[in-house]
This record gives sequence, C-alpha cells and structure tokens, in this order.
Amino acid sequence: MQVSRRQFLSLLGASSAAVVAGLPLKSFALPAGAMKVIWLQGAGCTGCSVSFLNRIAPTAPHSVDEVLLDIVELSFHTTVMAAAGDQAVSAAEAVYAQGGYLLVVEGGVPTAFGGATCWAWTRNGVDVTFKDVVTRYASKAAGIVCVGNCSSFGGIPAAPPNPTGVKSVRAATGKKTINIPGCPAHPDWLIWVIAQTLAGANIALDVLGRPIELYGTTVHDQCWRNGMEHATEFGQDNLCLLGLGCKGPETYAPCPVSMWNGSANWCVDANAPCIGCTEPTFPIGRPVSVPAGGGDDEDDDHEDEDDDERRNER
Amino acid sequence: MATVKVLDPISRIEGHLKIEVSIDTVRGLQQVVDARATGTLFRGFETILQGRSPLDAPDITQRICGVCPVSHGMAAVVTLDRAAGIAVPENGRILRNLVLAANFIQSHILHFYHLAALDYVDGPNQAPWQPSWKTDKRVSGAAANALVGNYVAALAMRRKAHEMGALFGGRLPHPPTYRAGGITATPRPERIDAYRAYLNELIPFIQNVYLNDVNTVASVYSDYFRIGKGHGNLLAYGVFDLDSTGEEKLLNRGRWVNGRRDVLRVDVGSITEQVRYSWYDDRTANLNPASGVTTPQYPKRGAYSWLKSPRYQSIPYEVGPLARMWVNGDYSNGISVLDRHAARALECLKVAEAAMGWLDEIVPDAPVIAPYEVPDSASAYGLTEAARGALGHWLNIRNGRIENYQVITPTCWNASPRDGNGRRGPLEQALVGTPIKNQAEPIEVLRVIHSFDPCLSCAVHVMRPKKEAQVFTVAMGSGPAACRP
Repeated sequence: MQVSRRQFLSLLGASSAAVVAGLPLKSFALPAGAMKVIWLQGAGCTGCSVSFLNRIAPTAPHSVDEVLLDIVELSFHTTVMAAAGDQAVSAAEAVYAQGGYLLVVEGGVPTAFGGATCWAWTRNGVDVTFKDVVTRYASKAAGIVCVGNCSSFGGIPAAPPNPTGVKSVRAATGKKTINIPGCPAHPDWLIWVIAQTLAGANIALDVLGRPIELYGTTVHDQCWRNGMEHATEFGQDNLCLLGLGCKGPETYAPCPVSMWNGSANWCVDANAPCIGCTEPTFPIGRPVSVPAGGGDDEDDDHEDEDDDERRNER
Repeated sequence: MATVKVLDPISRIEGHLKIEVSIDTVRGLQQVVDARATGTLFRGFETILQGRSPLDAPDITQRICGVCPVSHGMAAVVTLDRAAGIAVPENGRILRNLVLAANFIQSHILHFYHLAALDYVDGPNQAPWQPSWKTDKRVSGAAANALVGNYVAALAMRRKAHEMGALFGGRLPHPPTYRAGGITATPRPERIDAYRAYLNELIPFIQNVYLNDVNTVASVYSDYFRIGKGHGNLLAYGVFDLDSTGEEKLLNRGRWVNGRRDVLRVDVGSITEQVRYSWYDDRTANLNPASGVTTPQYPKRGAYSWLKSPRYQSIPYEVGPLARMWVNGDYSNGISVLDRHAARALECLKVAEAAMGWLDEIVPDAPVIAPYEVPDSASAYGLTEAARGALGHWLNIRNGRIENYQVITPTCWNASPRDGNGRRGPLEQALVGTPIKNQAEPIEVLRVIHSFDPCLSCAVHVMRPKKEAQVFTVAMGSGPAACRP
C-alpha cells in the first residue's frame, strides 16, 4: 500500500509552505522542480540530523515534515531513508549522475590512511570511502552546505591529536562551502541557508565560510546576561557566566536570539557557559569545561597557540 | 550453496553498519544461515580525551553520539562524581534524571516510527520514503494510512520530548548542563510547569498511539514473536537513580541467562573485552575496561570488525529496553523482534510516568550542584543506560588530567563480532534462522537489525589506537580499501 503525497498531506492537515524566512517558496513546492538534496554523513555523530528534526517555527516550513514534503527532495540521508544497501546507493548515484543537487555534509572527512577509517557504502562489492564519495559528489553539486562543526571545521574528531586526520569539507575537496557550524547546528540556521539557496540569493560569508547574517555577532554581545553581575559558582540563575569560563565573547552565533528547541531554553539561560561550539577552535581552546575561578594561565597561553595553528591549518 | 548478501549501508540507524548474511534453504525454508556485523567507522575519542581536563569528559563524550548524548553525559558525570567521592544534591539527581528521561522518550518514539516502522509499512510516494523494498509489507489500507499519519505525528512528539529535556538540559541534543557534582540548571517553577505540560501531551500519545501502533504491527506480523531471539542472555546496568546512593533505581541492574530462572547480580569485574575476530592484538584479549588496552592490528587473520566483543564471564549478552524491562520484572513475554519493540514502548510509558512523579520531588530553591574539585589521581567508572542499552565509562586521572578513558557502548555489546570461543555477537546470532522471502529484498534482515536499535557511532567511534601503533596502512588495489593501525 502506498500513500500518495496528496493523501499524505490530507492525513496531516498540512498546508503547503508559502514563505520561508520571508522568501516566496511556492515555485519550489514539490513535486515540480524541487531541489534534490543529498545528505552525507562522515566522521560525525548524527547530532546535526537529530537537531534538524527539531525544527519548529512560526513561519513555514513550520516543522521538518513540511521541509521534506514541500520544499526539498531528500534523495539520500541514511538515517531517515527507507532504502538500504544497493537500493540506497543507487538512489544517490542517480541524483549524482544528473548533477545540480544540493550537497549537505554532516561530519568531517577522515584523510589519514587513505580515508579508510570511514566508509560510505559498498558498491559492486567494493567498500567506498567517505572521502572519495564527498570529493566526487562535491564536483557536481549546485552548492555545498556543511552542517555542524565537524564538516565545517573538523570539530571534535579533528581535536588533537586528530587520530584519523579529519579535515573540513572545504579543506578536503578544495570547494567553496557554506558553513553552518555548531555542535549541533541549529535547525533554523540550516533551513535559512536552504531557503536562501532555493531563492538564488547570494549569501554573504565571513572568512570562515559562515553566513554573516547568522554569525556576524558574538554570543556575548547578544546575551541577555551581558552586564549582569558575574556568577561565582555553578547553578546560579540570571548572572553573567564570564567568571565560569563562558566563551560567549569569542563565539560568533545567534544562540541568544534563536535560542534552542523551540525557544524552550539555551545554554546560558540554563546557567551553562557557552562552549564556543560554532568556532573552528572548538574543542581545542581553553578546556570545554573550566572549574569555577577559571582555567590556569599557563595552559591558556599554550592553547592559544594551538588555536592559531588550527585556524591557519584550515 | 548459500548466497552471500552484503547490506551496506544499513539505513535508519545511527552511524555506519555493514551486514553480511549467508542465505540458504534449510528443510525447505529459505533463511539466514550465518551473519557477520561490521562497523566501518573510527574516530578515536579515547585518544582525544587523553591529557585533557577530566571536566571536559561530559561535553566531549556526549559528541560520541547525537542520538544518546545525554546517556554519555550521565555516564561521564557519574564517573566524575565517583572519582571525587562527591554526593550530588537531590535536585541535581532529579534534574539529571528528567533530562535523561526526556531523551529516552524521544529516542524510543524516533526509533519505532522513523527508524523501524518503514520495515512494515510503505511510506509516502516520494523521497526519502522511496525507493523502498515492497516485499512483505503487510500493514495496508486504513491501518497503513493511520500508521503513516502517526509517523508524522511522532515527528512532533519526539521534537516536544526534546523541548521538554531542554528545559533543564539547556538544549538537545548535546545538553551543556551536565557537570560533575550535579547540574547547572535550576528548577524554576515555570520550567517545572512546562515539563509537566509536555508530559501531559506525551503520555497520552505513548498510551493511545505508540502502544496501539506496536499492537497493530504485532497483530499482522505475529511470526516476529518467534524471529530474532538470539542467545537469549540479557544484561542491564540499570538507570534512573531514585536516591542519592544509587542503590534504588527505576530500572534495576541485573542479568538473565537463557534457560535460568532467576535474575542474577552484575559484578563489573566480570566484564571483559575479547578481540579474536576484531582488528586488535590478541595479546589484549580478556581485559577488564578498567585496565583496557586497544592495540589495533590489521590485517589480522579471521578478523572482520573494528568492534571488540564485550562479554560477561565470557558469555555474550544482549542489552537494551527488553533486557532492562526483563531484569526489572516488567516484561516476560519472550525474546524476539516484536518483544523488543513491545518492551521498548512499555518502557517509554514507564519512564514518562515516573518523570511525572519526580517533578513533585523537586525541592524549590535547594542546590542543584555541589562544588567539585578534580582529584589529583583517581580511578572510577560510571554505569548507566542509553535508550538502546547498557553504557559504561571507565576513567583514570593522573596529575589532575585524564590518563585513560574507556567506553563500552550498548551497540558494542549487541553488534559485536564472534568471541574467542567462536560465539557470534547477539545481533549476529539473532539473524541466524531468519526466514527470507525474496533474496533481492531481504527486508526480514532489516527488521531483526532495527529491533536492536543499533547506534554505530557509539560503538565504533570510540576505538583508541595506541599512539605508538598508529600506522594504518592502506591496502589499495587488492579488493576493498582496507586499513591497519
């Protein structure tokens, strides 16, 4: 038994999406001319996919089902797709052959040992590395979007000593990418980028490939708690967390504005210092967690050098 | 002559899994006669943790897996609490439980509807629900429409469960509030009310929709109460401490051996990891994780997986919701594909209802976290449960830094390769005997795999190559790309 898209929509009582982030999207509604999306997962944790499922917004697409039914044709995504094995690989290859798809990459690209620490799939009896698939699929994509810190900058798998030689997609493929870092990335940030791309907008990027519209201001500058008295220990409400190691001043992200999980909360408002997860230095800089009173100075100096090196590498 | 069928990628799981099954006809029935499970990804988290502040462990280990980050956070903070001998304030214990409960609920709903259901019903007529295998989709007509409709309703429900968890977790996935000594979030009255309001929506959904849909599938696939049993040994570390000692839990620690009558106690020292069929040096076999060593070796004769084989007194055990509910005395119908789904759904309800009670135990304005000082040197472990089964972290601190960190994940138990005695891992064993209608579309294999809710990022990404042994060699041109550490 198959449910047609029309029946499916009537089951949901879903209306078709009209506007995303202020942009008319009607012409992009499925099935006619929907942009095909291939979403590849490499050295990552699937957290950005799970975060994507958490989309909820007052404007269309209100939630992830509307994204999938009305806005993009998600041709390949191993966590959600029905197909497995050869059938799944063939679905990706068919879209690749046509070209012009949007390539979304989650997870970094292991390059050590020929990329053999991460296989994408088996094709005709041969294991194919993620590195090979990303490189090949990047060549015919209409655009490449890196969702999360790992594909954008390498992320935790690339932290010292980077056991598997993980690189960002940009470094591994030499292609221009739109980076949406965050560990995980916020669903609204990704959907904003998809909407802009579908509308053919020219997205202004900073030197790290991040959309300036989203990542132009530090967390600290947008934080409600900026200017409040400083917390001296954990578990205190409504105080600035700078003394507890908050990385808000050096972290560019709209978290205080977008908040998380349908505005249920966000890190600082749960009294948890910003850990800088949208930055290429994550998690290299100061310890992700520092004891009350801050880290020790000697370490900070040492790790700042690491930060510079890491920025230069990428 | 058996046909060997390779399924790679296995979709609708977390992470990268390759399954190789041999299919043959035995006594007139085409079925799986052998199976091998291979995890194909390695990140090296344990190496990355070495030398860092122990306080980094909760945030970093959560990133092992985006589906069960809260469980890694819990295992890490429990390990740190124990390393320093810290007593966590009651509010800290309760709020940690509430965030973890929220993630259990979201994970179980996600698993049944979005990862498993498409093995039983065909989805909408577009990507990512098509293409799909059409073999043996028995849920049809109005029942199929309802199930697919609930697939979408469940997307909203699992999202709301995450919003509920974010009230005290800060955000999900990867909540930043889990810290050694307690939790950073406070139980503001408006957040307690909001959590309760979410539960008031989720509990009826679990009762009236989720459980009902499991029944719908069970009614037309009743043969799956006899498929996928496996070894029949069940292990649970237990989870959701009900007092500050951790002695009382909502779901207790224990193990059950196939054919025995009583639930047996768990001695952590009896857990070892075998490597006979794993790409690790045989001299590191049978070590307890407290003194675990990971020395990769590739190529290695007969080996086929990056997963080690965790065993309890040398015996393979299945972990997961069925194991938990079984040792807790909450479920005893049987061990099979459908029993796993049923136990998972019933556990989802049990956890949600318990969380409602925990909200009333919160003491307003009482502390949520105790001051924590990293010990100069200590060894400790922390046992908890992820939605998909038993999870343990083992830590050595030296000079205030992480000297060694070992993780044994639920999927390492379930998807492990054969051990030194040649016994298959639980998932491999469960696949053997599975009837196959159509070799070209072995949907039955997916049903067995998905019933375990495997999470391969967890299982494989934590492998730790020894620094001095870090010399992967790529053997190209001789078949599949291969590597050795």
